[in-house]
Amino acid sequence: MISADISVVLPELLLAVFAMGALLITVYTSKDKAAPMVLWTTSVVLLATAIWIALSGGGTRVAFGGMFVDDGFARFAKVTILLSAAAILLMSQEYMLKRDLLRFEYPILVTLAVVGMMMMVSAGDLMALYMGLELQSLALYVVASLRRDSVKSTEAGLKYFVLGALSSGLLLYGASLTYGYAGTTLFTGIVEAASEGISLGLLFGLVFLIAGLAFKVSAAPFHMWTPDVYEGSPTPVTAFLATAPKVAAMALFARVVHDAFSGVVSDWQQIVAFLSVVSMFLGAIAAIGQQNIKRLMAYSSIAHMGFALMGLAAGTVFGVQAMLIYMAIYVAMNIGTFAFILSMEKDGQPVTDIASLQMYSKREPLKALAVLVLMFSLAGVPPLVGFFGKFYVLRAAYDAGLGWLAVAGVIASVIGAFYYLRIVYYMYFGEDKEGLDSGMNPVLWGFLMASAGVMLLGVINLFGVEGVAAAAAATLVN
Amino acid sequence: METIILFAPLVGALICGFGWRILGETAACWVATSLLFLAALLSWIVFLGFDGETQRIVILRWIESGSLTTDWAIRLDRLTAIMLIVINTVSALVHLYSFGYMAHDDHFREGESYRPRFFAYLSFFTFAMLMLVTSDNLVQMFFGWEGVGVASYLLIGFYFRKESAGAAAMKAFIVNRVGDFGFALGIFALFYLTDSVNFDVIFASGAELAETQVRFLWTEWNAVELVALLLFIGAMGKSAQLILHTWLPDAMEGPTPVSALIHAATMVTAGVFLVCRMSPIMEYADTAMAFVTVLGATTAFFAATVGLVQNDIKRVIAYSTCSQLGYMFVAAGVGVYSVAMFHLFTHAFFKAMLFLGAGSVIHGMHHEQDMRNYGGLRKKMPYTFWAMMIGTLAITGVGIPLTYYGFAGFLSKDAVIESAFVGSQYAFWLLVVAALFTSFYSWRLMFMTFYGTPRGDKHTHEHAHESPMIMVAPLGILALGAIFSGMIWYGSFFGKTNEVGKFFGVPYEVAEHHDDGHSDDDHADDHSGENAEGDHGEAHYQLIGAPGEGAIYTAPDNNVLNEAHEVPKWVKVSPFIAMLIGFLTAYQMYIRRPDLPRKLAESQWPLYNFLLNKWYFDELYNAIFVQPAKGLGKFLWKKGDGATIDGGINGLAMGIVPFLTRLAGRAQSGYMFHYVFAMVLGIVVLITWMTMFGGAN
Amino acid sequence: MEELLSEYLPIVVFLGLAIALGLVLILAAVVLAVRNPDPEKVSAYECGFNAFDDARMKFDVRFYLVAILFIIFDLEIAFLFPWAVAFQDISMLGFWSMMVFLGVLTVGFAYEWKKGALEWE
Repeated sequence: MISADISVVLPELLLAVFAMGALLITVYTSKDKAAPMVLWTTSVVLLATAIWIALSGGGTRVAFGGMFVDDGFARFAKVTILLSAAAILLMSQEYMLKRDLLRFEYPILVTLAVVGMMMMVSAGDLMALYMGLELQSLALYVVASLRRDSVKSTEAGLKYFVLGALSSGLLLYGASLTYGYAGTTLFTGIVEAASEGISLGLLFGLVFLIAGLAFKVSAAPFHMWTPDVYEGSPTPVTAFLATAPKVAAMALFARVVHDAFSGVVSDWQQIVAFLSVVSMFLGAIAAIGQQNIKRLMAYSSIAHMGFALMGLAAGTVFGVQAMLIYMAIYVAMNIGTFAFILSMEKDGQPVTDIASLQMYSKREPLKALAVLVLMFSLAGVPPLVGFFGKFYVLRAAYDAGLGWLAVAGVIASVIGAFYYLRIVYYMYFGEDKEGLDSGMNPVLWGFLMASAGVMLLGVINLFGVEGVAAAAAATLVN
Repeated sequence: METIILFAPLVGALICGFGWRILGETAACWVATSLLFLAALLSWIVFLGFDGETQRIVILRWIESGSLTTDWAIRLDRLTAIMLIVINTVSALVHLYSFGYMAHDDHFREGESYRPRFFAYLSFFTFAMLMLVTSDNLVQMFFGWEGVGVASYLLIGFYFRKESAGAAAMKAFIVNRVGDFGFALGIFALFYLTDSVNFDVIFASGAELAETQVRFLWTEWNAVELVALLLFIGAMGKSAQLILHTWLPDAMEGPTPVSALIHAATMVTAGVFLVCRMSPIMEYADTAMAFVTVLGATTAFFAATVGLVQNDIKRVIAYSTCSQLGYMFVAAGVGVYSVAMFHLFTHAFFKAMLFLGAGSVIHGMHHEQDMRNYGGLRKKMPYTFWAMMIGTLAITGVGIPLTYYGFAGFLSKDAVIESAFVGSQYAFWLLVVAALFTSFYSWRLMFMTFYGTPRGDKHTHEHAHESPMIMVAPLGILALGAIFSGMIWYGSFFGKTNEVGKFFGVPYEVAEHHDDGHSDDDHADDHSGENAEGDHGEAHYQLIGAPGEGAIYTAPDNNVLNEAHEVPKWVKVSPFIAMLIGFLTAYQMYIRRPDLPRKLAESQWPLYNFLLNKWYFDELYNAIFVQPAKGLGKFLWKKGDGATIDGGINGLAMGIVPFLTRLAGRAQSGYMFHYVFAMVLGIVVLITWMTMFGGAN
Repeated sequence: MEELLSEYLPIVVFLGLAIALGLVLILAAVVLAVRNPDPEKVSAYECGFNAFDDARMKFDVRFYLVAILFIIFDLEIAFLFPWAVAFQDISMLGFWSMMVFLGVLTVGFAYEWKKGALEWE
């Protein structure tokens, strides 16, 4: 019995053991001097785990009496999380070494956050959900304030922590209400309790749960922390915050609404659609005013989460599929974009002002072209892959009878195109003045080019993600 | 062979239009011209060897979409064969003529290459026209229809540096668009009703359509009347009939060979051809056909009156064309399609010749077109004079009354007028008056141009010269047609019913008695064409072809052809008398008393101005359609597009969105309590919303 | 619902008693106590801070560190108490679960020890 349970959670277990082992070994030996090695090892371990999970057989397995669910949906999310975490770790090294930020705890904290995320996406119970969420969040609070001597970084960490605590409070309140009215914390039990129609108390629980989750995906109006934290955190951490945790939180969101509240789609659909439309417009409109590319990416991620939520709002299998595809594409785009942002330097100092990109195409035509592709893809310009992500969610929303939401999405994406195109404008038509340092770390260069290449080549068949996402979505929604 | 006829002009157009840089200008033009002559030669072979049986030559499967299935096929029957020779002969001659006419042109700069373009357009036009007349279905026809429209547009505006030419080209295109809209609606209606655009299917369903009612615009229509009317609106546009005629005189802005080919002989007759082609439908639509008759007669009269006072030599001929087209429509309208085709056929020759002759005069007079500046050119241009003389004799209808000897126009126009007498008294009288006017303005043209004393610029007159052989030769060939085409084919078009039936490939039989007009019930034994030949001379025949059988269809109760032969003698003579009166009046006014016209114009100035300004049609249209349309366009542009749409978008993009951006920026204050406040606000909104509208029980 | 609420009745009674008792004691002190303050009496304790001072004053972050570390182990004890009380009823799974939990805690403890978090200077 227990051994069967353990075999289900084995990847998470091993990662946790790895994290603790690495922590102890490194702290008792060479400490920060071994940090690059720990970072590389962690990357490899994460990558290996991703491959392992990807190749492990299909089917749905349940452990610990339903608290932990390992199904296709979870595996899809986990692979995305692990791969993006591994990629971001590799990208971080040079930047952090240069600024004397690379502590050996960083990869370990990332690993622990990843374990938390894997827990989240596999949660089959409110308690498991909360445990995963907190494990992830606590690790993220710490990495956000990794640069302790910087006021902005500590401010970012503190704000993230305090607001995160508030959101955890909201989520816990929702969980307790749900427990109070459903009599159980198991998702399967909640479905049963809500099968006869949802009571007002349960509905309140649902709203608070969603509010807590919306904070994690940084959906408006629970997004306020995002720009400040993204700006303040060291850039590699920002890159991490923008990718893996978003996937985890979005997957958790999908799991809660589809597993625990699958009987009351019409209720949560309204909430999710509201969050979606507000996020899309706020992300699009507020980003226009930004000069700092990290803040800009923060608003961009808010808008993108709005689109992913649109897929979720459809409440159908296709909607979940669209959401998964969207998230996968979003992560791929952000990895490339942040690889570029990490390389933005002037006189060896990191730069985040987008005005520094003026006439970048003249000095670095290839890189500028890659960024152009990424920006177009982020804006959703056909025929790049980003367009297909948007296309899927719009179609899902439309098919589900949320035509107004799809129209709103299109309008928001038009507004949002402005700030992506402005970066392109700066790069190609801006005034020629002294710009960024040339030269780029080969790892970052590789990620930038690979990401841009994916945006172009994925047009052919999205690298088969569509079919996998469809299968994954089918396991979640019955 | 038919395929070669159809595609030779296209090949010529392509080679000439795209290949002249390789071939050289002159060689390219010769390629196009010789291909046209080949097509013309083959057309005559086809025409003379044609036995009347409808043939169908499929070129390719063209459109397949839903229940719409269309081949690109050549439908070869007598109508097509007639049109083939008309188009290809005139086109070939016009090509040849253009070598001389277009040799030098002041509208183009030194060294600018324009001739290959001109020849390519001409050949392209010919191809489109052939496509129109050979079509086997309405869609193919429509493509040809629009193709000639495009070619006409390009050629009218050929002198693109001349503003009036550009305006005339646009006018022609736009006015034609009105007609084409009707034509397209007619095609849609037919497809809607019969689920096919192929002639075979459509022709077979005429009787059925006559029983059908359709709802169109605000009222119920008889299907066949509606279709016939819509198709006729298309024909009106293309053939410049009243209401939609205004573009034709302006189209004279194009080079004269273009006027001869497109705006006299071929394209403008497409409407007549369409009505004849659709005879199996038209025959069931009595009201629509009455409309065709009335409109045709009115046009014939109207255009003739305007022609009386015009001073531009080409405009006179243009109004004459407009008028003659009215004749053709009258013939078709009263149900004698063969006569309509007859007049179309002869008219092509003499009208092309008149235009080419006028072109020759203009060429010799250094592009002077005002007849008031001509005079006494008979000696300077003898060949041109004789050609014009033959053309004038033909158009005015000179011949020996009550016999079958005369110029082409004598036979065909008289046939039209006799048919009109049977079909409609209104049309008859208008046509006779129009014949009088025709005679007057034609002779007026002759007298003003070739007789009298030279007027206008002396210098021009001194240098006036006969045109080169290459321009005169086509006139000679056309003269043959203008003289003999009527006498040779009189029997085929307007002879005894059996002759006509044989010519058009329509079965016929002996009629019981011609007076009662209903003979189909009690006459069981069917005489085939051969054994009916030997019957007694007074026998009357009846066309009995089913719709779609043969080239034209006449309803069983349509006996106009027979009755037209039986009209009183005075009717037969009346056009001749009208011609004589017209001639004598013109002689009196322009040879004996050249001061008379001015006095008359001064004493009758309201009438004179009314006619000179073409019944004020242009002014009327300008006030009713053009100005309001311009006003509406301006309103939509300035207020609609500029202020509302652009302003709205700009306001949104540059006003509201930045405002919201600033708002969002201010909300992002950096204070944590603001952030918490936003979250709490979000929760409150959601909770309130769900409490009120959620599905909680 | 009624039943559920009636189960909470003892708590309400308990709360009421607690408030009443607190009020009685405070009022008793006001009524009965002898007030005779001197500087030593009103000053803060040796290790504490002045009671009436600027709340936003700076003080050593090490206080927080110690407090946080204390809380972790405090919570550990909070888990251990019910586990120990029910020790007889839980299976080996319960026993080993607690051992794993303690093991994880130990890892953290070892880390912070080595990192020097427990040293004041």
